[in-house]
Amino acid sequence: MFKTLIGREFLDNLMTFRFAAAVFITLLLVVAATAVLIKDYERRLESYNTSIETHRQRLRKWQTYSPGMGRLNVDRPPNPLSLFNVGLDKRLGNKIPVSHSFVPSLWDAEMDSSDNSFLNIFSSIDIVFIFEVVLSLLALIFAYDALAGERERGTLRLVLTHPVRRGHILLAKYISAMLCLLVPLLMSLLLAVMLLTTSTSVSLSTDDFLCIGGIVLSSLAYLSVFYLIGLLISALTRRTGTALMLSMFAWGFLVLVYPNMILATTPPQDASAARGASAFNQIKQIYEEFDRERRNFLANDPVPGDDPAFDMDSPGRWTTGDGFMENQLTLLYYYWNVLSYDEFYDRHLSQVPHVQNYYGFLGPRIVNTADRVWLIRKQALDEIFVRPAFVDRVLLKLSPVGVYDAATQACAGTDLKGIQDFFDTVRQYRQEVIAYLYDKKAFGSRLWFAGDEEQVDWNTLPQFSFQGSDIGTKAKRALPDVFLLLTINLILFVIIFLIFIKSEV
Amino acid sequence: MWHIAKRELYDNLNSLRFALATVLLLALMLTNAVLYLREHPKRTQAYHNAAAGAIQTLASRSTSLYRLATEGPGDLHKVPSPLRFCAEGDEAFLPTRVSGANYGRRIADMPPIWRMFYPQETPNLRNIRPDFTTLDWVFIVGYVLSFIAILFTFDSISGELERGTLRLTLANAIPRHTVLVGKFLGAFISINIPFAVAVLMNLILISTSDAVQLNAEAWGRLGILYGIVVLYTCLFIALGLLISAAVRESGVSLVVLLLIWVSFVVFMPNTLASIGSRTSVPIAHMEFWTQRMQLADAAREAYQDKYGDSQTTPSVHVLGEYVTSEAEEYERFNEAYLKQQLAQGKRARAITRISPTAIVQRLFESFAGTGFERHLQFIENAQRYAREYREFVIDTDRADPESLHVVGIQEGMSQKPVSPEAVPKFRDTLSLNRDFNAAATDLLLLALFLMVIASGAYLAFVRLEI
Repeated sequence: MFKTLIGREFLDNLMTFRFAAAVFITLLLVVAATAVLIKDYERRLESYNTSIETHRQRLRKWQTYSPGMGRLNVDRPPNPLSLFNVGLDKRLGNKIPVSHSFVPSLWDAEMDSSDNSFLNIFSSIDIVFIFEVVLSLLALIFAYDALAGERERGTLRLVLTHPVRRGHILLAKYISAMLCLLVPLLMSLLLAVMLLTTSTSVSLSTDDFLCIGGIVLSSLAYLSVFYLIGLLISALTRRTGTALMLSMFAWGFLVLVYPNMILATTPPQDASAARGASAFNQIKQIYEEFDRERRNFLANDPVPGDDPAFDMDSPGRWTTGDGFMENQLTLLYYYWNVLSYDEFYDRHLSQVPHVQNYYGFLGPRIVNTADRVWLIRKQALDEIFVRPAFVDRVLLKLSPVGVYDAATQACAGTDLKGIQDFFDTVRQYRQEVIAYLYDKKAFGSRLWFAGDEEQVDWNTLPQFSFQGSDIGTKAKRALPDVFLLLTINLILFVIIFLIFIKSEV
Repeated sequence: MWHIAKRELYDNLNSLRFALATVLLLALMLTNAVLYLREHPKRTQAYHNAAAGAIQTLASRSTSLYRLATEGPGDLHKVPSPLRFCAEGDEAFLPTRVSGANYGRRIADMPPIWRMFYPQETPNLRNIRPDFTTLDWVFIVGYVLSFIAILFTFDSISGELERGTLRLTLANAIPRHTVLVGKFLGAFISINIPFAVAVLMNLILISTSDAVQLNAEAWGRLGILYGIVVLYTCLFIALGLLISAAVRESGVSLVVLLLIWVSFVVFMPNTLASIGSRTSVPIAHMEFWTQRMQLADAAREAYQDKYGDSQTTPSVHVLGEYVTSEAEEYERFNEAYLKQQLAQGKRARAITRISPTAIVQRLFESFAGTGFERHLQFIENAQRYAREYREFVIDTDRADPESLHVVGIQEGMSQKPVSPEAVPKFRDTLSLNRDFNAAATDLLLLALFLMVIASGAYLAFVRLEI
């Protein structure tokens, strides 16, 4: 009997015009969007490759360590899964300076070869966004008359004259409708993945496919939530017209209005300005202390004057400079210095050991101060920027759209945590570079600033690589949201069941 | 006809969708007003501070004509539109200033002459909040009102067909087009009632606040905006009637309408922009920097080659020529790059006009004085001012018979004091006239859309078999 019920419902749904229209439009939109997105991704990849090459060449131009440390840059590769949910992948900075003099964070990244900033006025659409809008609408359209319609037509009464459990009817309706809705979802996803794999520039690993699997799973749960919302409305109302209007407005509110409204109304953080200022002052104080020590050293060394370049000039190319770099908004404050000579006049040669001595003293101190300051800065940045962003995301989750978005972003690795992983890797890389400098005894060496005798071999520098967060971490981040969706499903189903059992036909 | 319209109206007024639409629109419009009243005073304050600072800088430079000629007018700020609650226009992504300053390389130790810079705005670079659309009128009208229009009309013909009441109506001696127009009017009025109420509440809230003053021109613009809303609603009502007449089942007509709505309203504007931006791509920003640097180096080298080794400094006239031509070339390069960028933006925006929602957004932005078109206007204003400023410097210099008339060199210019009042000040203005010009195409396109769909609806209904 149960099977018959499912079969009937399934065929009922499948043979309708709405099903054909749904499949057609979902396929059309997803394929069109994927084609556009792939082109977009290819452009980003190309620009990433050029950036890497440019940065490498720019580093090679320097024969000494000191200027190289100010010009070492790491590039963030575009994430191929950003086609599914773009998240923060496209808009945050993709060029991150790596230097011993400060610890880089998300707020120090810049957009390299960022093309036209006027194009930012257009927002980008991804595959998950299309699902968010289209699939939820379809689910509601399939659901609104499932119970109310049968009640109106009187067929529900007819079915119930048979010895069928009400729970079975409900379950049969749910399963068959979900089977129907699966068709456009899976077909469009398959087509999208097919397009992806045929494109030569996009290479997906096994892990990526597992992530896509995760996205499919969350899409399914999301779809089912909206179907159940529709079913709930259908169970509560006696007329299909009412059910339809209620579900349409529920959709409009949950998908269209609520996410935008809640984010627009959460007030910008004014209180954090004071927090930022205090942290900034703290950081500045640490650097004042550092600067005192530095000046002391210069005043006490045998060379007169306290110029960090030791009043030298050169017949060849030379660069010198030092100072404090600051950006109060992102709490960035650090001491930078650069010193590089291609050649020396003979009269300066006697000073070289003193310079070596000074930079041997200064280098480790710069590193230590930067590390100390980072602890303060990280905490303040977390409080000022990261926490409100997390609160926003929690508020968004009051609508299933927010949960779905969060789950798919986590799968794709384009969420805030996924991006933070990248910056963690960059910080690790900085440690590696510093270890390398210590290893080569670069700070106190002639090579730090003098390129007249030998040159730095930049090839031995550790290479940066970022493979994306591993599948386990991604799963750990996505699972709570997927479970949340499933729980909503379960609760909705139980409520519908109770209402349906108690309702009179 | 009025009979039918009235019947439709009463039908709708008592329905659930009318109540829900009213609640939704009211909530949105009130939020819109509250948000605007929270944000706008801050924006105007920031503008006034910046503008006052700019005038002060200019006054401090007015001590001598030479300083005015080399240091330039400083930052020029864009005045925020009081109608920003109508269209946000993605202003966050558009720069609020251009600047006339003298950063540049020195030639022969002469301070360079000022030139125009067009800074970029990238607020998203450090923004980790989730994306969202601001709740401006564009959103409320473009997305929500069109959605409501569909929900009001999807069953207006197919529903009656199913119930059989249409046959009954047509049995009377009423021409079909009268029925159609009656239905159209009924739907139109019943959608406009909640919307008008919501708009009135919104405007009452805004106009009673002390923080914002809307002048006569702003109210005129609001009137035009309402006219655009009317056109847009008519378009979606006509679409609803068309599909409702063409598809005989109300369930199916809803599905078709929703899918059309999703494609035109949600999907098309952004995807089309992405496609449209692929042509006429400007050089990368990094490349622009490098090229500009090379340009400055070339100017310096040209001087070095000619006069670098000679012991006597060349005459004031020669120096003046070098300094001026370097500034001019630099500025021309900046402007060419800006033009490329704007051209790409324009093209991307032009192609989105396939979607009526994008047209409405463009129209709203034009008349609210926000967004891309407004930015173009601001840049034009700034460039006009820059010319004015240059002419002022040259004219003042000419008026002094003792001067050598070499602009940009201390010894070559008038040494007389300049009165700070005489220096032209930058005033950014919005002109309705120009806005109309920019919006004419969009208005016509929207009207064309409406005509096509309305005649489609007429044909479909006349040929409908009952």
